[in-house]
Amino acid sequence: MNLYVILRRSGWSSAEELGDAAERSTRVGEQMPDDVRWIRSYVLDEGAGTVGTVCIYEAESPEAIRKHAGRADLPVDEIIPVADTVIVRPDPQPATV
Amino acid sequence: MSRAEVEARMEPGGDRLLERAAELEALDEALASVHASGQGRLVLLAGEPGMGKTSLLRAFCAAHDDIPTFQGGCDPLFTPRPLAPFVELADAAGGRLAARVARGRTPADVAAALVEELPRRRPALLVVEDLHWADEATLDVVRLLGRRLESLPLVVVLTYRDEHVDRGHPLRIVLGDLPAAGTVRLALAPLSLDAIATLAGDETVDADALARRTGGNPFFLTEVLAAPGAEMPGTVRDAVLGRAARLGAPARRILDAVSIFPPRAELALLEECVPGYHEGLGECLASGMLHPEGTAVAFRHEIARFVLDAELPPHERMALHRAALHALARTLPPDPARLAYHAEGAGDREAVLRWAPVAAERAAALGSHREAAKQYARALREADGLAPERRAELHERRSYECYLTDQIPEALAARLEALAEHRRRGDRLREGDAHRWVSRLRWFLGENVAAERAAREALDLLEELPPGPELAMAYSNISQLRMLARDCDGGIVWGERAIALAEQLGEVEILVHALNNVGSSQLQRGDPAGRATIERSLDLALAAGLEEHAARAFTNLASQMVETREYAPADHYLERGIAYCRDHDVDSWRLYMTGWLARSHLDQGRWDEAAEAATTVLRYPNPAAPSRIKPLTVVGRLRARRGDPEAWEPLDEALQLAEGMAELQRLAPVAVARAEARWLAGEHDLVAGETGETLAVAIETEDPWAAGELAVWRRRAGVREDPLEVEVAAPWALELAGDGAAAARAWFRLGCPYEAALALTAADGEEPLRRSLAELERLGATRAAACVARMLRSRHGVRGVVVGPRAATRANPRGLTVRELDVLELVTAGLRNREIAARLYLSEKTVHHHVSAILRKLAVPTRGQAAAEAARLGIAKR
Repeated sequence: MNLYVILRRSGWSSAEELGDAAERSTRVGEQMPDDVRWIRSYVLDEGAGTVGTVCIYEAESPEAIRKHAGRADLPVDEIIPVADTVIVRPDPQPATV
Repeated sequence: MSRAEVEARMEPGGDRLLERAAELEALDEALASVHASGQGRLVLLAGEPGMGKTSLLRAFCAAHDDIPTFQGGCDPLFTPRPLAPFVELADAAGGRLAARVARGRTPADVAAALVEELPRRRPALLVVEDLHWADEATLDVVRLLGRRLESLPLVVVLTYRDEHVDRGHPLRIVLGDLPAAGTVRLALAPLSLDAIATLAGDETVDADALARRTGGNPFFLTEVLAAPGAEMPGTVRDAVLGRAARLGAPARRILDAVSIFPPRAELALLEECVPGYHEGLGECLASGMLHPEGTAVAFRHEIARFVLDAELPPHERMALHRAALHALARTLPPDPARLAYHAEGAGDREAVLRWAPVAAERAAALGSHREAAKQYARALREADGLAPERRAELHERRSYECYLTDQIPEALAARLEALAEHRRRGDRLREGDAHRWVSRLRWFLGENVAAERAAREALDLLEELPPGPELAMAYSNISQLRMLARDCDGGIVWGERAIALAEQLGEVEILVHALNNVGSSQLQRGDPAGRATIERSLDLALAAGLEEHAARAFTNLASQMVETREYAPADHYLERGIAYCRDHDVDSWRLYMTGWLARSHLDQGRWDEAAEAATTVLRYPNPAAPSRIKPLTVVGRLRARRGDPEAWEPLDEALQLAEGMAELQRLAPVAVARAEARWLAGEHDLVAGETGETLAVAIETEDPWAAGELAVWRRRAGVREDPLEVEVAAPWALELAGDGAAAARAWFRLGCPYEAALALTAADGEEPLRRSLAELERLGATRAAACVARMLRSRHGVRGVVVGPRAATRANPRGLTVRELDVLELVTAGLRNREIAARLYLSEKTVHHHVSAILRKLAVPTRGQAAAEAARLGIAKR
């Protein structure tokens, strides 16, 4: 499996919608554990209450990412492969999923 | 602390294990859901050796001893007995189930026996352990059961060692084929420091050191704690050997004897190997290293058996196997697989030669072709002094089994050995036939030149002999090679020769093979009569139960129809063909057709389905190269069109595979895929290089579709060249003539929206480009859409065109999202929310939420009015 960044810009019109999406993402992910693994996400403030995400996933292929997104009804703007991870400082407190 | 005490600690509260509460709960939940719904549930239980998979199941069964339980395990053998777990489970159950499984001649028989004889009115538990050792036939039964699981009130638990099961392992593939919805996946984790401390209790054992040494492995822990005071063993092996060393000599002899009987030793057999065994057996049982299993004894854990077996000095092991062989040879009915195993261990050449081939035949009959190949190899290892004909026969059978299991290099090596034998004996008939086989195998390995040469050698030898089936097959083999090289005349001429001889000899199989070649060649040259010819081959094959030939007929019909873009009959053949292959376990053709299915989906704009089909094929680590090329090009094209990463990896692999084969049918699809990817990446200058050679071949072999597609990509990349002097398929010809709009209309009529969208870029004016852009966005071809947006800018000065998935939303009048459009389509079809949820893999709550949004955006109060409004607005359906 490789690491990918997935951009989901302005994907949801509210934090609540995003919460529902997160639940779907987890549920569908459990059905395909050998294809995708959700690592983490940063929620983006896209203005006027709209939110998007930058997601980090381990996946077998870009197609596996799209299959997961299709089943979980998540938008996929762009898929970018991660060449390397450089951690300079730990994250500030994340929200629990 | 005695072993019994340790084990008591492992299972506090009688039937509760340390730190396995979550897993037991999951099993309980699965059972409860089967009670409630009557639908079966699958539980996959993975864990390293010694993690306690068996203990967990034992605890679960103890907690539910009112549930009928059927349990069997796979043989820890290099050549496991086919269907061993099901035989074991059925024997224990007795009655009709035992009788039917014993009579079963195929995995389908066994699966049917299980489906029909297991309790139907109340839930039952079916456990198959150690699937990482499973033979092919067992895996087939598991797969078949998986398909029927929904209608059986069964909790099916499959256990395996996941460290064993890497990408290439046959189990991994079966696990991928099993139903995913509702499957519970459990993975046993090592025990925590807390649990280890609890186990160690008041012993003066350093829990930290214990944790570090054993890694929390329950088996290892038990072994260490059961030998207190002794120096802590460095490894599991040391632990087991240490335990065994504490027993008396008679007991140790018993352990040694039992260790060569995986998975268990019947007492009657044990008697033969260790006369007076009762003396030591008691101590073994008391120590807990062995436990009784019916009328046999077995090691409590396979790890211990494995360690002790490996520890045996060679002469002792041989002596034990000899005794076992002697004892087994007297039991009836003989079990050839077991006999062959002990014969090899005993170094008894004659016994190996007697039993291994029988075991091979039996395995082959059950569809365990891998095991059959291994048994033939076992026999061949002892075959030096055998009569040459017999040796050649064994090589040929091994070659065939390897061919069936996709081990082509091994198949070729074995066939070459057989060929050498035949040549040495001057048997020109068998030598000729072997050359013909070699030709076929070399083709599979992509060695076309060598394949042609071998075909010629076969012909030369066989034409000098009175005509017979071998000659007919040699003709048909040549016809097949010609057909694959797109030499239509050659395919037909040689094929007709084969047909004539086959009909004369009454050889149905050869007739079927040759008809297929001739029909394919006819279709390739545009003669529609080819379809009827292949249909005749198919009908004969189906009637005669010639499964591989039927599969090939389906494949050639489907692939030819896809190439000429006649998708309705193509999809029909693909659907029938893939279902046929699935039902008859013809894996290699099923994969090949699935690759064509991926291409059909891609062409018709069903890109998610295309990705799914292509991924299915590419998951298999070692299919013959021909099967991989199509799905690789599909994945490459999808990624390029969508702007996804890693588009070039599959396209480069496809090129590498195709280059070794030098056949148009391999090169052209790769060349067009790479040309498209170059064009999408803006690398127009590289398109000429990708397509030059292939176009020349396409013109030479007069392939109207390949020539057209290659020429069009060159034109789009700005290559100026003379019109082609060969007939070109209509939609391509229209674009080459400069009429992009007419080309697009032709593509839409054929059902190819992406080709239509690209053809529109060759039409005059701004409007076709806008239409193209809208279509590409609908398909999700983000990169392609960006190219067209750039054209709008450069050709017509149109700026500010937004490209991307959000644009799809903006493009439709009421701003419905793509998912809302999906739901709306099903609402219009009259489905209720629950059905929509099932169809789209959503929760009912989510569907309800989407329906509310739809009603709001369309400003209507009811579903019916939503459907009407959608029709009025002409909202695009997928």
